[in-house]
Amino acid sequence: MKVDPIKFEVLRNGFLEATEEMALALRRSAYSTNIKTRCDFSCSLFDRDLRPIAQSFSQPNHLGSMVGTVRQAVLEYGPGNLGPGDQLVVNYPYPSGAHLNDIVVIAPFYYRGGIHGFFGNLAHHVDVGGGAPASVGAFREVYQEGVIIPPVKMVKAGEIVDDVFRLILSQIRSKRETAGDFRAQIAANNTGGRRLTALFDRYGPEAVNFYMDELIEYTDRRTAAELTKLPRGEYAAEGYVDNDGFTDRPVRLAVRVAVGGDGVLFDFTGSDPQRRAPVNSTWAQTYSAAAYALKCVADPDLPVNEGFYRHVRLEAPEGTVVNCVHPFPVVAGWETQVRLNDTIFKALAQAIPERMIAGTKAMQCHAGFGGADPRTGAYYCYLETLGGGYGARAHSDGPDAVQTHGQNTENAPVEETEINYPVRILRYELVENSEGAGRHRGGLGVRRDYRFDDHEVTFTILADRDRWGPWGLFGGQDGRKAYYILNPDGEARELGSKTTVDLRPADVISYRTCGGGGYGPPEERDPALVLRDVREGKVSAERAREVYKVAVDTGSWTVDEAETARCRQPGRATA
Amino acid sequence: MTHRYRLGIDVGGTFTDGILINEDTGGTRIVKVPSTPGDPSVGFLAAVERILREAGIGAADVGYLVHGTTVATNAIIEGKLAPAGFITTEGFRDMLEIQRQIRPSLYDLLFEKPRPLAPRYLCFGIPERLDASGSVVTPLDEQAVARAAETLRKEGVESLGVCYLHAYRNPEHERRTREIVHEVFPEAAVSLSSEVAPEFREYFRASTTLVNAGVRPVVERYLSSIEARLRDAGFKGQLLVMQSSGGVLTFEAARTKPVFMVESGPAAGVIVSAHLGEVLGFDNILSFDMGGTTAKTGLVEQGAPGITKEYEVGAAARAEHGAKGAGYPIRTPVIDLVEIGAGGGSIAWVDSGGVLRVGPRSAGADPAPACYGKGGTEPTITDANLVLKRLDPDHFLGGEMRLDEDAAWRAIEEKCAGPLGLDVVAVALGIVEIANSAMVGALRRISIQRGHDPRDFTLVAFGGAGPVHANRLAAELDIPAVLVPMSPGTTSAMGLLVTDIKHDYSATLIQRTDALDPEQVDRLYRGMEERGRKALLAEGMGHAGIGFERHVDMRYVGQSYELSIPLDDGGAGGALQSMLRKFHAEHERAYGFAAPEEPVEFVTLRLTAVGNIAKPKLRELPRGDGDAAAARRSVRQVYFAEAGGFVDCPSYDRYRLPAGGAVEGPAIVEEIDSTTVIHPGFHAGVDRFGNLLIRPAR
Repeated sequence: MKVDPIKFEVLRNGFLEATEEMALALRRSAYSTNIKTRCDFSCSLFDRDLRPIAQSFSQPNHLGSMVGTVRQAVLEYGPGNLGPGDQLVVNYPYPSGAHLNDIVVIAPFYYRGGIHGFFGNLAHHVDVGGGAPASVGAFREVYQEGVIIPPVKMVKAGEIVDDVFRLILSQIRSKRETAGDFRAQIAANNTGGRRLTALFDRYGPEAVNFYMDELIEYTDRRTAAELTKLPRGEYAAEGYVDNDGFTDRPVRLAVRVAVGGDGVLFDFTGSDPQRRAPVNSTWAQTYSAAAYALKCVADPDLPVNEGFYRHVRLEAPEGTVVNCVHPFPVVAGWETQVRLNDTIFKALAQAIPERMIAGTKAMQCHAGFGGADPRTGAYYCYLETLGGGYGARAHSDGPDAVQTHGQNTENAPVEETEINYPVRILRYELVENSEGAGRHRGGLGVRRDYRFDDHEVTFTILADRDRWGPWGLFGGQDGRKAYYILNPDGEARELGSKTTVDLRPADVISYRTCGGGGYGPPEERDPALVLRDVREGKVSAERAREVYKVAVDTGSWTVDEAETARCRQPGRATA
Repeated sequence: MTHRYRLGIDVGGTFTDGILINEDTGGTRIVKVPSTPGDPSVGFLAAVERILREAGIGAADVGYLVHGTTVATNAIIEGKLAPAGFITTEGFRDMLEIQRQIRPSLYDLLFEKPRPLAPRYLCFGIPERLDASGSVVTPLDEQAVARAAETLRKEGVESLGVCYLHAYRNPEHERRTREIVHEVFPEAAVSLSSEVAPEFREYFRASTTLVNAGVRPVVERYLSSIEARLRDAGFKGQLLVMQSSGGVLTFEAARTKPVFMVESGPAAGVIVSAHLGEVLGFDNILSFDMGGTTAKTGLVEQGAPGITKEYEVGAAARAEHGAKGAGYPIRTPVIDLVEIGAGGGSIAWVDSGGVLRVGPRSAGADPAPACYGKGGTEPTITDANLVLKRLDPDHFLGGEMRLDEDAAWRAIEEKCAGPLGLDVVAVALGIVEIANSAMVGALRRISIQRGHDPRDFTLVAFGGAGPVHANRLAAELDIPAVLVPMSPGTTSAMGLLVTDIKHDYSATLIQRTDALDPEQVDRLYRGMEERGRKALLAEGMGHAGIGFERHVDMRYVGQSYELSIPLDDGGAGGALQSMLRKFHAEHERAYGFAAPEEPVEFVTLRLTAVGNIAKPKLRELPRGDGDAAAARRSVRQVYFAEAGGFVDCPSYDRYRLPAGGAVEGPAIVEEIDSTTVIHPGFHAGVDRFGNLLIRPAR
């Protein structure tokens, strides 16, 4: 068959739309806030050989990890054991899954009696059992983290397999929400199937399969061409997860990015051995960090499919925090994974400083809690993740209060949360002066305070950055670190970033997430921008003077030019 | 002899269209004048003046003027909003900064968030708090409000928005805040979230409120200036403006709630499609409006246009499929449109992987498609249609402008066919097919993705380029018929004159249906009806012309997306069972499953108060002999892939096609502002109003 560039473009859009329709179906019919509102899910289409073809606009993390999960699950279960209308469910972590909360539902795509592809969608479930509500927390082995599901049939010939469904649900605290979320995941795969059937009807299986192959080859060519534009060389950096939840020993992450004639290799050799603590990343998670980084340095217009993924090359030695094995815990693997991204960009800043960013929030920053809802007596679970400061760039400030890297989940509206869960949110605001100062400054972190008035609740912080803020680049300063505080207005107590606590009624937990790192020396910042920040209350006048060497007249809202010139005199010692 | 005419003025990006209808005869007159983006009122008045002069009537003869305007949208897109103040609950003043905490593009390390709707120094957190049931937890700190108002006054702010947590349940703190603000700062325009969009989810409500506050001074000045000049010219009739939801508002109402008219322009096209459907007996319509830079599709089911509540205003053209967070969400009803970057001016190009692409870049009016001979060198969809001979170079815009075929040919050759190693005609066809596939995608999204089967719909095609492509799109989706109205280039403007006056109200009431208090539902509806009736009476409607439409947003308990289910006249108690049945059925249709054993809840009660306005009659063609042959202009070779290449194809003068006539495809029908392409195997009939109806030939 000869490639018709027109049919090619038509089918490419068709594949993408199939995954978008899946995402819409999943989001709109899901029950838990984490999926329906925060969009903590992703959808993919795979070809008959289990190669990824198209993905929805969603969470980059999942997209990379799902590539391995779907492949491993189907091969292990045996494609021959999958009939029309069957769907598998899986969350097994090693080596191709992620933490247990990320449950993948997979459906074969049947057309005229044969399998011509697969659909997979991954959703972060608010609870999968284990040692604490919302299934986050620091444990010693994976068995404490929740229900482990090898690839098993959850749907057979279009009907839910009741035995399996009930067995899984019985391990889970938030049964009603989870049951609804599973139904939404199943519906999403069915939606993809309907869309792809229409394409097969229109163009025929031979042509669609042919163009799936072509899409991969096309993407491969373009990716290869993009990667040759990167300056060749080896760029290394190291980063740390601040602690592991049991010890204060930082978790070392070693990154070497080798850009050569054969593409880009991400080598994580030298990273710490795996720990009996939640900070271990699986192979699939580490892979998704490399994939995300590669996509960011290539053309944003590049499609994401097998043709792109085959350029993702990495070394991640088994038995380390970047490729852990059974039964090491995995629940905070994403904390490690997202820090890998920061570290990769730090390494690449040596090669392409104009396109890279200073250190970002680079943690998931989970807040999970649950207990008996005093209004109904039912066991409820709640999970969300908080944004923070973005790293500054060569020509612009880092945005305030956003998610970073492979994480792009929305915040839950305070009103929606308070309607559905017995919690009161007291504050949700920017953390002033938390930015990493620089010629371009990092973004501000956020503060969110939770109070539980009338019942006892188990609260888990699963986050990081409680020792060091995100690094600055090229003379930019580090962002302010994060704080997790129990009862900030009473007998305040600082909590570690990986802590589970039982709260008494009226206790408050306060998150203040980190600011982003700065880029370039702060005393080179345009005084007009410093003035704007002071005027907006994001940076105090004192800090402006001390760190940026800019004197702001807060009566007239002008820069005191003479005083600023004096402060910025070369050789002048810091105040 | 006064008040015999209705006037519609639609200000678009390039042209301002005017349409005048004689209420007695149904006769219409149309003008097009250049828009004046610097001060759109100049183009507006020029259009009014010209159309009155050409009709030989005075301003006093016009009883009713409806305006479609992008003045609000443009102010947002161009960042020309008035600096607005924001008052909210203490602890939450950064709502507008934090937004949804997401990035609008996934892999772009250099992304930016939308600029906050109010600068942080104009945002104030006031000690006060309601809980989720609307009960007061912390009383309003009135001194703090007064201090904030004083600061805003000193800062020279004209307009401010108030959004307290849970104010959708209890508006008292917001109302009291407005009183206090007015005590210290009487001239301030205050927008309350509990009035603009009283629905839960604070950022979305605050964003809606602040968009309202930000565009208010801009809209106020604009409407006042044109009103004053119209009155000076002797205009005594009613002045109305098109809303995003498709109804019209009086100028007076639009001044205080301008967020309702943010998408005033595009709504008209869907409204006129619905109206045509009603007159001609088609209940289900897909509207397809293709202009110079974009194509817009909308849906009308059982006569009612689809409405979305998830609109983002000011988002740039979205490169990434499904991206969100790039604009400002508004939670007022907006006619649901899927808009894509495929218009006559969309540029075709070859990407670095050697694949032909079309759009989203557009040559627009400048440099314009290569064939316009205005210096454009990049090939566009219009150039491709010209190479395929679907457009006649001598009869474009009624012959006012000659198209340069060589330039079109050259542009495709140099930019696409050469690099691809294909011949120019094949590439021209490819450009059209790729654009068609994108438009089929848009039609799928507005229909199938929303749970509708396009085979149950009629496609109404308009805009200059719509009728060129519509037949093919309908064939792809098995849409049984395409309707091409007369003068497709001004169809949208016609929409301004066929709408009713509408006021939308909503109230959040989260209550499970098995514990529903029907009394409370009925009471809330009675309150909203009272407000609607009062507003309509004040606007000069008689009691007889007033009607109400009720919908309840419902969902399974625990979900967070609702489906709107109609609530018929009579109490909520009696209607409940049938509403539940409709809800389960609708859920099945929209998402592929229903869970009838699961509990269901009410979330939002919605009421539309409608002031019915008599619709102008469509003018009928004089009865002829039904023979189309007299309208035949010439025969030329036009490319049709299904016919295997260039084939003889007659072209017709639309203005000479008689009622009852028929044209067999392949055929081209030309008129001043558009060209209709009828493919082989299709047949176009002419109805008594001159509409073309294209169907598969039997």
